Order: sequence, then C-alpha cells, then structure tokens
Amino acid sequence: MINMLRRAFLAFGVAGIVASVLRLRGTGGTPPQEGGWRELSGQDLR
Amino acid sequence: MLCDTDLKRLDMVHRALEEERTVTVVDTAEAVLAADIDIVILAHPSGHTDLARQAIAQGIDVISGSDDIVEVKGLLDLDPLATELGRTIAVGAGFAPGLTCLLAAHAGVRFDQVTEIHVAKAGTGGPACARQHHGALSGTARDWRDGGWVERPGGTGRELCWFPTPIDGRDCYRAALPDSMLLVRSFPGIERVTARMAANRRDRLTMKLPMLRPPHAEGGPGGVRVEVRGTRDGAFETHVLGSMDRPGLAGGTVAAVVAVAILNDRVRRPGSGGLSELFAPLPLLHDLADRGVRAAAFEGLVA
Repeated sequence: MINMLRRAFLAFGVAGIVASVLRLRGTGGTPPQEGGWRELSGQDLR
Repeated sequence: MLCDTDLKRLDMVHRALEEERTVTVVDTAEAVLAADIDIVILAHPSGHTDLARQAIAQGIDVISGSDDIVEVKGLLDLDPLATELGRTIAVGAGFAPGLTCLLAAHAGVRFDQVTEIHVAKAGTGGPACARQHHGALSGTARDWRDGGWVERPGGTGRELCWFPTPIDGRDCYRAALPDSMLLVRSFPGIERVTARMAANRRDRLTMKLPMLRPPHAEGGPGGVRVEVRGTRDGAFETHVLGSMDRPGLAGGTVAAVVAVAILNDRVRRPGSGGLSELFAPLPLLHDLADRGVRAAAFEGLVA
C-alpha cells in the first residue's frame, strides 16, 4: 500500500515537472516570413 | 492642478511645468472636488470609479487611464448617470487601452463589417503600471466570443505577436485586461475580441507570487498591436496597426489629447465609454502624431 502511494506521488511529481517545463518553454508561433511595419502618414490618416 | 501622493515626484513634475502658471500643488486627490476645474485626468492606481462619480456630479469631465478590469467596468457602469448629467468619462485613456482603441476604430473604418479584433501589448509604464500588469497576468481574462463573454485563466493562450521595431516578436498571453470590454461597445455584431499582454518565462513562473523585486521607475520601450479582421466587398481581410513608444509617455500623451478634445467639444456624445466609442479616431491620431506618438501599419503576410 505504502509503495503504491509512493509510486503515485512520484508519478504526479514527474508529470507536474514535465508539464511545467512544457508550459514555460516553446514559442507561440512563427514570426512573419515577409513584410514589415510602415509608419502611417498622408493617405493613411485621411 | 497637479495631485500626487508622492511629494518628491510631484515637485519634479511641478518644476518641469514651471511655465504653467495655473499649476497648483495639492497632496490629495479629494482636493480635485474642491477645485474650480473643468476636467480631471485620473492617473493614480485605484479609486477611479468613486472619484469619477463625485466629479461628474460636480460638473467635472473625467479622463481615466486605468487598465484595471474592475475599475473600467465601474466607470462604464456610470454611463447612464454621466449621460443624464451631460458629462464625459473617457475610460481607458492610455497606451493600452487608449491608443489601441483609437487604432482599432481607425482600422475598422476600412471594413464593411468588423468580425474580430485582437489586441496585444508589451511593456509597462511606471511602478503602479508594472504591479497592475503582474496582477493581470494571474487574473481572469474576459474574451468576447460569438455574442457572449468567455472567462479564461490569465497566463494561457500563448501567441507570438509581432510589434513594431525594436520590440518585434513577443510571446503574449491572456490576462485580466479591459480592452475587450471597451471595444465590444463600439463594434456591434462583432464576433471575437481578445486582449493579450507580453510576458517572459520569469513573469509566468512568478505570476502567482507577489512581485519578487520592486518594479523599475520607468519600464522602457513598449508596443501595442491591434489586429482587425472583417469583410470588405464580400472578401475577408486583416489589417494590423501598431505603435511603439514608452508606455508611460504615450499614455500621458493620449490622456492629454483626449482632454483637449473634450475641452474643444469633440466628443460624439456625453456619457462614459472608451475612446473608440466617444471620439472620432482620426483627429486624435493626428494630434498624437504631432506630439510624437506615431502609429504604423504592418504590411505583409500575417501569420
């Protein structure tokens, strides 16, 4: 019984650590492959 | 008239504005109500709703720079009272919300029907702004989806958002931000409105904890990005506008041009609302550009 509880806690602990790493690492997408920013002026502000 | 609980900062700002002979120094915001003024800009961390309620009752128009979701809701709830009294409460008059509302309204003009608006912001102004951001990341986000509010935990929904240079790409997350509440009122029939803020790994790891170190006096450069989607001539289009500036400086400039607009009677209607609701965006964007707060459009393939 004690061994089973130990294994359960260990499994939850490992799962929590893996979830935290996955949650903190990585990125939310890919940057735009083309284009850029252009300041609004003239016709844009009419 | 200047009010601040920080006497050192108050003295510094007072000296910077020494040519303004009408500046009077007082130490409590309550003094606003005793003063002979036409308009008040609320830029302190909390208590905007109560002060705004008292101010409009005394015939004073109000500009609030709060980005606290509870404050913004309280201020918007004053709309019937402000309308009845014929006073204006400009809610969320800062960098984001504020400039973002103006950019969304300006971008929306080119569409027959706006279907989605997605706002993102990066950076903070002063210490109170940084504390608000820290709290927002661990709060509950309110997204508008298909005619109703959907609540989601802050710190989720990672999305890489591309801001004007030098901010560039930042991972942004849901947070307790008021932008959706303000924008939904201006775009009837809109399907989705979301707001995200940039955060790094340390921000996310510590978001449930108190701030581990005091915030900087000035947060450095920041950016805003507004992605508007909709239909024009039967086709779906996306238009992305943004701006890059020091959030505190840009937010103060937005509040200042809004004050001038109210004093010059350029408000669409009396009452309480966001900038996209109460003002025509183009004149304010011109005023902001004249003062150095410039907007930009993203041209290219939007991911």
